Amino acid sequence: MEEKLLQIQDLRTTFYTREGQVHAVDGVSIEIHEGECTGIVGESGCGKSMTAMSVMGLLKKPGRVDGGSIWFEGQDLTAMTPRERRKILGNRISMIFQEPMTSLNPVMTVGRQVREALLLHNRQMTRAEARDRVIQSFELVGIPDAAKRYGEYPHQLSGGLRQRVMIAMAMACDPRLLIADEPTTALDVTIEAQILHLMKQLQEEKGTAVMMITHNLGVVAQFCTRLYVMYAGKVIESGTVQEIFKHVCHPYTDGLMRSVPDMKSKERLYNIRGMVPNMLRLPRGCRFCPRCQYSMARCFREEPELYEAAPGHFVRCFLFEKEEGK
Amino acid sequence: MVHAVSGVSLEIYKGETLSLVGESGCGKSTLGRMMMRLIEPTEGQIFFEGKDITAFSESQMIQVYKKIQMIFQDPYASLDPRMKVRDLIGEPLLTHRVCAGKEETDQRIKELMHMVGIRPELIDRYPHQFSGGQRQRIGIARALALNPRLIVCDEPVSALDVSIQSQILNLLKDLQQEFDLTYLFISHDLGVVHYISDRVCVMFLGKICEIGETGEIYEKPLHPYTRFLLQAVPDMDPEKVQKREQILTGEIPSAVNPPSGCRFRTRCPYAGDICRDKEPEIRQLGDRKVACHFPLG
Repeated sequence: MEEKLLQIQDLRTTFYTREGQVHAVDGVSIEIHEGECTGIVGESGCGKSMTAMSVMGLLKKPGRVDGGSIWFEGQDLTAMTPRERRKILGNRISMIFQEPMTSLNPVMTVGRQVREALLLHNRQMTRAEARDRVIQSFELVGIPDAAKRYGEYPHQLSGGLRQRVMIAMAMACDPRLLIADEPTTALDVTIEAQILHLMKQLQEEKGTAVMMITHNLGVVAQFCTRLYVMYAGKVIESGTVQEIFKHVCHPYTDGLMRSVPDMKSKERLYNIRGMVPNMLRLPRGCRFCPRCQYSMARCFREEPELYEAAPGHFVRCFLFEKEEGK
Repeated sequence: MVHAVSGVSLEIYKGETLSLVGESGCGKSTLGRMMMRLIEPTEGQIFFEGKDITAFSESQMIQVYKKIQMIFQDPYASLDPRMKVRDLIGEPLLTHRVCAGKEETDQRIKELMHMVGIRPELIDRYPHQFSGGQRQRIGIARALALNPRLIVCDEPVSALDVSIQSQILNLLKDLQQEFDLTYLFISHDLGVVHYISDRVCVMFLGKICEIGETGEIYEKPLHPYTRFLLQAVPDMDPEKVQKREQILTGEIPSAVNPPSGCRFRTRCPYAGDICRDKEPEIRQLGDRKVACHFPLG
């Protein structure tokens, strides 16, 4: 079996708001293997981004990690001081965001921004060396005229180029894990294809593991080998992409897949009825049951655990509970 | 000077859904807004029900607005946060004095709410009390209030989650059937476009590349840009791996300074000398119209 690079165990992230506590991430366990791409999928508010922010330690008040552990290369990130943690972030783990314009500093040239990241984690490196490394990394991520672009500001670049700069910055210190939060959502289709292809290529060449957070199932199918589906703060299905796309189990995942127009048939799209629950007033029992077409009386009373529907394929639904387990 | 839309001619037939697709800056939204004269065209004419509306006075346009309505992308920005649902949907009814008296107006508002799947009891709520999908439904009810003939839908589902997106798409389809509506549907999502439209018009940098029947275009694109666009969509089947040669290289050129000849030539692997020297005219190929010197066979 491949080595586990990141192991999130029973993570709980809570937001303490005036209206009450929101358990944005509620007992989530995720494993990311060395060199592998893992997709985290779900709709707005399911907790996928907050899981990533918890790993990065970037949660803002009133949010905080309340429980669980995040093991990375044998160390528990949640037990570290902020100072120790900063040595890992941007170095061993780095992150790219959805909107490359808001995550770049508008008054600093893109070259300097990437150089800054390099110098911070490589104290012995000279500025000239760092500059050369940045230009090399710009070339690696396919930025044309890399030396000229080095001295330009973010607003002078197109959305696709800005995202390439973000990737160059994230990859500058050769991280073992790259967390990508909707990296192509703001981009046009043809540019999205370019960026995904670039990320795949870097992942294969450098052996970087990727945690891909997305709402786009097509991106998962094309890019990832392992998948976690989240709903209302919990993982509701997990397994390999091959397995889940072939034998989807959870009624929510199934509904989601059938809600996407696939460019093949014009048959009426499936509708998951209702909408995502309010995280302040979660339904009792299974969180999906008010929208589920298979819900039984038991679903409204008890919360299902993750059951193993097939080897390595876990589903949080009573329909997949094994008889022997009772 | 930016020619956001340049020399575009197209027809929308009664009862159909025509989609405009293309990437940012291709002019699809500008074209949609010109239909309503929210942006005035510099040159050219727009005929609606046989009349040239670009020559209409403001008071004549008010009559046109009864028949052409619009649905916007962002259901958070397009509804006034200080107005109740009652006033949001009732506003067009009052402006055009279509209902006699308060009672009839109220009844019509409730009927419209019911049509788009919002409980009529919620008539006195404000937009912030609804979810994104519900807000988009309110926007649709407002657009339907005057019984329009044509609705310009500008990216109506792009801001919504997948499960809500399919609900709204099905609602738009049902309403079209029920009220014999015509849609001009603007979107960058090729899956959504395939599902909703009868005909598709692909645009690039202010020009039409290709217009034709949806199924035919998706099956056999004739313009190279259409083919690359379709191949760029990540396939839902993990076994169908996207190949490198299916990915279009380069960036979208600037509309301020577009390339000479064919505007797509700088990214097109099939471009020849003629593409640099001469702009391709749009021509009929079977049931399709294509603007390319070397259409795919």
